[in-house]
Amino acid sequence: MTRAEAVAVVLPLLADDDIVVAADGAISREAYRAHDRSRTFYMLGSMGQVASIALGLALTRMERVVALDGDGNLLMGLGGLALAGGRQPANFYHLVLDNGCYATTGGQPALSQDVDLAAVAAGAGYAWARRCFSAEHVTEAMTAWLAAPGPAFLDIEVDASNTDPAPRVPMTPEEMAARVRAALAT
Amino acid sequence: MSASRRLDALLAAGVGFVAGVPCSYLKTFFAGCAELPLSSFLPAVREDHAVAACAGAWLGGTRAAAAMQNSGLGYCLEVLTSLHLMYAVPLPMLVSDRGDPGDFEEHRILGQRTRRLLDLFEIPWAEARSGAEGDDANWLVAAAERGRRPAVLLVGKGADS
Repeated sequence: MTRAEAVAVVLPLLADDDIVVAADGAISREAYRAHDRSRTFYMLGSMGQVASIALGLALTRMERVVALDGDGNLLMGLGGLALAGGRQPANFYHLVLDNGCYATTGGQPALSQDVDLAAVAAGAGYAWARRCFSAEHVTEAMTAWLAAPGPAFLDIEVDASNTDPAPRVPMTPEEMAARVRAALAT
Repeated sequence: MSASRRLDALLAAGVGFVAGVPCSYLKTFFAGCAELPLSSFLPAVREDHAVAACAGAWLGGTRAAAAMQNSGLGYCLEVLTSLHLMYAVPLPMLVSDRGDPGDFEEHRILGQRTRRLLDLFEIPWAEARSGAEGDDANWLVAAAERGRRPAVLLVGKGADS
């Protein structure tokens, strides 16, 4: 299963009022292409901050907040995982699309090949943390994750290959932020 | 009323969420923060996570402020530039003004360049004044909202209250 396919599987499983923070780079572009929604925040930079942005939303909002993270991204900002695990917001749902490498920059290997991110999340205090390494069980794993008590963490192994790159999100950063804020103000 | 007049002034200016990493120059401010409900204060593990969480809270409609030592500006720079400045996210920031003569050596190099660093990224700043906590907070929030960007109140030794 490619990362884009996993993104396309998870988005239809979410409730309409769920708030999504999509990681900078390919994950945001793939989330936009698969299923654009006004309650998705598309990150462009600030790698390593997916969980922290999502945590700021989760602590101040009642709705479920879903962080669509990458393995290299999460490793860059591992303190964000500690914050979410330590604070334990019950509406915080963290999904890692784990291709084991830095795909955007040429596929250089990432430490996620050696570090069990779900075990790190469990140690940090997430109420539920699992890994899924089998493509045929992805939908089942995502359904269990979304039904689990929060904060919940799911590490999904995806293929490193990417033969169908998604185009950039056709909005300015200011438009992206304003759209999410307006959607959450209604 | 909390233990901190600066915190009370920020709350009165509409701030509903604070995230930060402590500095001894902001001891009183953080003592006030510790009394806030869990949904209003995030003691962060590093300053970049604090400002990113503030951006999340702002997206959700809550005015959010960050507090940190000026050394934390280094950790924050990527987030301030590619999140707050790029997406036009307001961020009132309380930043301790370390590096004054007599301060420890580890604060000297960044401390001597804090104002130039903020100027370089067109982040407005002002120096905190003891006894003017309300005016300081109102300036800070207005500067961040007006510019839709970070704004910094530099808190020197003795201006923590």
